[in-house]
Amino acid sequence: MRISLNKIEQIDNHLFSRGNAKDRLIFEAMLILDPALKSQLSWQKKTLDFVQHYGRKKMKAEMESVHRQLFSDPAHQRFRNKILSLFK
Amino acid sequence: MVSLKFSVNTPAERERLFIHLYKTAFPATARYVSKKGGSFDEAKDVFQDALVVYYEKLTDSSFVLCVDESSYILGIAKHLWAKSFREGIRYTPLDHHDTEFIEYENDKPSNQMLLHYLETAGQKCMEMLKAFYYDKLPVAGIARLFGYSTVHSATVQKYKCLEKVRDTIKEKSLAYEDFIE
Repeated sequence: MRISLNKIEQIDNHLFSRGNAKDRLIFEAMLILDPALKSQLSWQKKTLDFVQHYGRKKMKAEMESVHRQLFSDPAHQRFRNKILSLFK
Repeated sequence: MVSLKFSVNTPAERERLFIHLYKTAFPATARYVSKKGGSFDEAKDVFQDALVVYYEKLTDSSFVLCVDESSYILGIAKHLWAKSFREGIRYTPLDHHDTEFIEYENDKPSNQMLLHYLETAGQKCMEMLKAFYYDKLPVAGIARLFGYSTVHSATVQKYKCLEKVRDTIKEKSLAYEDFIE
């Protein structure tokens, strides 16, 4: 793997507390000594925040499509009536 | 993923899970919301948010479900409903008031623009990163889903995607902030 990818892997391991105690200690020392690494770490965290948000948005879209299906498809008429009767 | 009866690796499999959960767990949530004076749309929003929370719990390998699924989802829905009620607002979907990222970051227009950019220009990588970090699928399954012959090449691709998306976020968020502020 390219060196830059190795760095990404190290940061990933750090974020998810993977690897042995020695490697983790070395990485923590590097973080103190290397401001660029610290900055990379914070961008990588931000990336994972975006991935989480992307995941939620996608899942909401999948649920929305199930919702539409259940509340329009004749096959689910009984279920639909049961729910809608609660809001009359 | 410790999913109980359903495998949820693909959109079709998730669809089956969501239909099942709608059929088994939505009636109780809807009854609760209706009793509290809420509307059908509010019942739908709170239920879907509860499903998101439930799904994210399922993907956490340390999660052990102690009650049955429907009661668990109803419990989350009640909690979300009460929280919204305490804040004195009508129910608004989770996106607007939960989790650190969303609370502090998502309202920023620059982040909305960036997410939109990633959804379009970076979709392939976002899908792969979602499989790893959001759905938390096993790497062998991800390799299969995305057409990699080995676990190693799927893993390398994950790091390439992380790098690419990270660099895009870095570059674009600086540019968007300049543009907006």
